[in-house]
Amino acid sequence: MSANGGPARIGRLGLYAFLIGTALFFAIPLLVVISTSLKSLDEIRAFSIFVPPSSPDFAAWWKAWYAACTGLNCGGVHVGFWNSVRILIPSVTLSVLAGALNGYALSHWRVPGADLILLALLLGAFIPYQVILYPLVKITSTIGIYSSLAGIIAVHILFGLPVMTLLFRNFYAGLPDELVKAARVDGAGFWRIFASVMLPLSVNILIVATILQTTGIWNDYLLGLIFAGRENQPMTVQLNAIATTSTGEIEYNVNMAAALLTALPPLLVYFASGRFFVRGITAGAVKG
Amino acid sequence: MPGVVVRGLSKSYGPVQALRGIDMVVEPGDFAVLLGPSGCGKSTLLNAIAGLDDIDAGSIEIGGAEVTQREPSERGIAMVFQSYALYPTMTVRRNLSFGLRVRSVPKPEIQRRVAWVSELLQIGGMLDRKPSQLSGGQRQRVAIGRALVQQAKVFLLDEPLSNLDAKLRTEMRAELKRLHRSLGATIIYVTHDQIEAMTLATRIAVMRAGRIEQYATPDVLYERPATLFVAGFVGSPGMNFLSGSIGRASVPVVRIEADAIPLDGYPFCAPFVDGREVVFGIRPEHVSLADHETRGSVIEAETLFIEPMGPDTLGWFQYGSQRISARLPPQRARGLSATVRLALDIGQVSLFDPTTERRL
Repeated sequence: MSANGGPARIGRLGLYAFLIGTALFFAIPLLVVISTSLKSLDEIRAFSIFVPPSSPDFAAWWKAWYAACTGLNCGGVHVGFWNSVRILIPSVTLSVLAGALNGYALSHWRVPGADLILLALLLGAFIPYQVILYPLVKITSTIGIYSSLAGIIAVHILFGLPVMTLLFRNFYAGLPDELVKAARVDGAGFWRIFASVMLPLSVNILIVATILQTTGIWNDYLLGLIFAGRENQPMTVQLNAIATTSTGEIEYNVNMAAALLTALPPLLVYFASGRFFVRGITAGAVKG
Repeated sequence: MPGVVVRGLSKSYGPVQALRGIDMVVEPGDFAVLLGPSGCGKSTLLNAIAGLDDIDAGSIEIGGAEVTQREPSERGIAMVFQSYALYPTMTVRRNLSFGLRVRSVPKPEIQRRVAWVSELLQIGGMLDRKPSQLSGGQRQRVAIGRALVQQAKVFLLDEPLSNLDAKLRTEMRAELKRLHRSLGATIIYVTHDQIEAMTLATRIAVMRAGRIEQYATPDVLYERPATLFVAGFVGSPGMNFLSGSIGRASVPVVRIEADAIPLDGYPFCAPFVDGREVVFGIRPEHVSLADHETRGSVIEAETLFIEPMGPDTLGWFQYGSQRISARLPPQRARGLSATVRLALDIGQVSLFDPTTERRL
């Protein structure tokens, strides 16, 4: 590159201008949501949505968390938050572990019909789940877990399995076969090899899988609405209920704050683990 | 003392027959080498003995016990793999002790054996390191150590030296020989490197296309190869093959080009048929430059080129329509005249049937 200006430098400036411009453009909705959540209702009514709050305060956040109403319940989104956590933890843990176990079995043990199973999983990963919602409702209600915590967890595990299995299968297929052979000669069986040799090697891919499942399950609305039941409604469903409540005046600041609170956990997960995420994705890509 | 007996072992992958009726007896204390080009089935045979691959037919005995249906860990074997296959997340110490911990060997016994192995292989200084922090040679030692701590009856090694550079390979070869001597263990070793096979083995099985071509001591294999394939595969530079026919003058002779070379006392193992087509095999070191006083089998050939190899030089000559090479002392190979007289050491030749490829 030339050191004394010239076309290359101008090109670079243009590039930055474009990138900063588009970043700002895409950030506008988020900035509006944040600024509105910090305003009072009077201020919202009086000025344009682009005017920054004159005296920002967190009153709307407090109300969204503890006192926002959905229908007759005025407990705020923290009820939904804890419901989401109760759904999230078992769903993520079990679907990731089951995916790892499936992937390990399919890649390193001769499973009869392994190719067919893989094909079925691939199909499963690409079928839009709206297609099988109704049969699934019938099935869960027949076995008596419809509209319960167990029901929604089971559904999340089911829908997570195809992608989780494929992710882990590709990762494990990249590991040398001789590793499993060595462990077999050493006397370890299926489970011991999984626990002592495979899982310790899978830290990065486990993190990737956990992030994928955490964001997917936390952001889910449709499955939570249908399968969780009234007592276990996740945060997303509750947020929707708050935003669409049509009685009385619409508290935009509270709605905005509730939306931000709902979106926050996956965002934090990304920030905390982005480094691993990139590392794990590339590891999987290179080895798979 | 345990040996290994393999009877009628067959195995196919789909339409490909990897092993065709293998019979093999490894005596206790033997260092048996499975030698052959890639794809000949040698690793498949080793995996079958280890129990890592299912077999289609046949039986395997280890130490007098029938083990055909047993799991690898119940066969009394230990194994070293080509890629070493060390557990990447475990320290060297935990790699060594993994198998013992799986078998719930008491802790003091584990410590005793790990100490014994790390002393024997000089890996005591690296017990707390991970495999990724070791050099190739060190990983190799750990892989061997992991097999040794098992105190198995039979050790199976699958091309253990092929990932090392040339110098380390020579060192580890000597090390393996020393270990075999001092432990008196039964070893089955897979390689495609004939020098490894010749230097290490007490017996070599040369394999080709799922069959054992010859199973013999290195000396017999080298001096009296049973088939054309074995003759060509073992020995570097390779054996010369000249086509001709055998006949009877006053003594049996082999006619090659215009010459009739007497076969004094060649130990025929097939009936002598006058006029039979043969392949005449002679190693380059049994071809020399003829002196004036050399008697017997001398042929005339034209010099083509020479290949200096250090301790000796390989000379290539045109003999009628065929080519022949000779291993010559370097000083004599310099300044060869255009036409030379070559003496053949008839006591060291091998004759083969060109169609069955078997030794005559």
